[in-house]
Amino acid sequence: MNILTLNQVSKSFGSKQVVKNLSFEVPEHIVYGFIGKNGAGKTTTMKMILGLVKMDEGEIKVNGSKVTFGQNTTNQYIGYLPDVPEYYGYMTPREYLKLCGRITGMEEKEIQKKSDELLELVGLSQEKRRIKGFSRGMKQRLGIAQALLNSPKLLICDEPTSALDPVGRKEILEVLSKVKEHTTVIFSTHILSDVERICDEVAFLHEGSIVMKGTLAEVKSLRKGTTVEVECAGSDETDRVLSLLPGGKRVSETSIIYEKTNQKRMNEMMKVLAEHDVKIQRIEMLEPTLEDLFVEVVSK
Amino acid sequence: MRQLTTFIQKEFMEVCRNNKLMICTIVFFLLGIMNPAIAKLTPWLFEKLSSSYEDMGIILTDVKVNALTSWEQFYKNLPIGMVVFVLMFSSIVASELERGTLINILTKGMARWKILASKGILLLVMWTGCYFLTYGITYVYNDIYWDNAIGKNLFFSALCMYLLGVWLISLILLMSALANHGTGVALGTSVVFLICYLISVIPNVEKYLPTKLMECSQIPFGRGTPDDFTYAIVIIILWSLMDVMIGILVFNKKNI
Repeated sequence: MNILTLNQVSKSFGSKQVVKNLSFEVPEHIVYGFIGKNGAGKTTTMKMILGLVKMDEGEIKVNGSKVTFGQNTTNQYIGYLPDVPEYYGYMTPREYLKLCGRITGMEEKEIQKKSDELLELVGLSQEKRRIKGFSRGMKQRLGIAQALLNSPKLLICDEPTSALDPVGRKEILEVLSKVKEHTTVIFSTHILSDVERICDEVAFLHEGSIVMKGTLAEVKSLRKGTTVEVECAGSDETDRVLSLLPGGKRVSETSIIYEKTNQKRMNEMMKVLAEHDVKIQRIEMLEPTLEDLFVEVVSK
Repeated sequence: MRQLTTFIQKEFMEVCRNNKLMICTIVFFLLGIMNPAIAKLTPWLFEKLSSSYEDMGIILTDVKVNALTSWEQFYKNLPIGMVVFVLMFSSIVASELERGTLINILTKGMARWKILASKGILLLVMWTGCYFLTYGITYVYNDIYWDNAIGKNLFFSALCMYLLGVWLISLILLMSALANHGTGVALGTSVVFLICYLISVIPNVEKYLPTKLMECSQIPFGRGTPDDFTYAIVIIILWSLMDVMIGILVFNKKNI
């Protein structure tokens, strides 16, 4: 079953259309990467899913129920982590989770139990300070704890790692990977290495529309095997390879890149190199990176 | 109901921990002390000034003060308290919208009207406490030094000014739903007050306006009776309720 369905959703701010006929589905228990550069419409889409921003057209369903703007009942299924989560700085993390738990209708005992569990998960269980003294990373981790407090079926994270240092990013990604067993995670970002690390499915958003979507493998296969890299044993050997196999681009002293090629061509290349006894260290069909795809998609 | 009580608790925790409760208490306590103090010091001040006045050819006779002198000060000083209160709390909703602290709360399923209601209840309790602190201090000192019996309908006239404060709170809530910044709320509240004040120069309209209640300060002196304020009181109560209702309707449909 799909936990989230968007059907022909559009939104304009004044004359600027930020989301155009957006449609996609998110199945349960996966990490869904929502990729796009700044201003692509990611945050607006997420706020529409949460009923915080009114959509102009279309329909959004969370766990089978329709999202309504304003008093949105489907938020009971959702945990939300904003890009820059803001808290009441005069509270301690435990006080804040208690406030959230009571608002969401949890029993006192359950709040206590879940708070202990989640603060442990995000590494804030020993923290007695008030939130105003927290670093960005600590706030982000507390954000995950508050988002997971009511055991949501859907966790929406808006660029959770964008403002963090590498250590902070790693911690957040680990937590998100862990919670996948119990909940579905939608994760917007423009940091593609994060997507490759934890996402199962992805959608590329560009100027308010989805330009590419599917599982990580599917998306990558769209451009599979178009570049071959040959690494030679030395500079002289590199020159030989270039004379035997013209059309390559020398990218370093010992490396040559052949673009717009395929498996058959690579086999032929290996045959030629073997016949002439060329000393090579490595020949590889390069996997397209998400970055290549992203640049290709947004520059169309 | 639990959402409402939880959020009210959060509001009270906020005013306690960010010192707004302390600042308000100090301001309104000082205002309360100032009224009888100024009245008490007036003869002494005049005595000190009499010699310099004599040089100018003005002869000051004994200045008589009583409880009414202190009540006069009460109504003169009260607008200071009101301005402080409005400035201090005009961004009560806007600051949360600006910082985005309500997003987590709303995505936890909080009903939007309860946010505005909690803020309204906090403001009402704060205003009631602060106002009657000033009133109580003035009343007690006046009774000690002089005799409050000299003033007519003291409590009624004080109640009129209290209602004016309640109306300002309702305007803060309405403006908070309409504006996105604290300055917009303070400005909107002030503009509505100013418009009422300006319209009140039109004869026959004045008695229906909330600003009419400012004249209640004359009741203790025997100028005017409670009946003169009936229309203004009914209007101010209805207006305040309308502000809150419109505020909630607008806030329910606000992009956050």
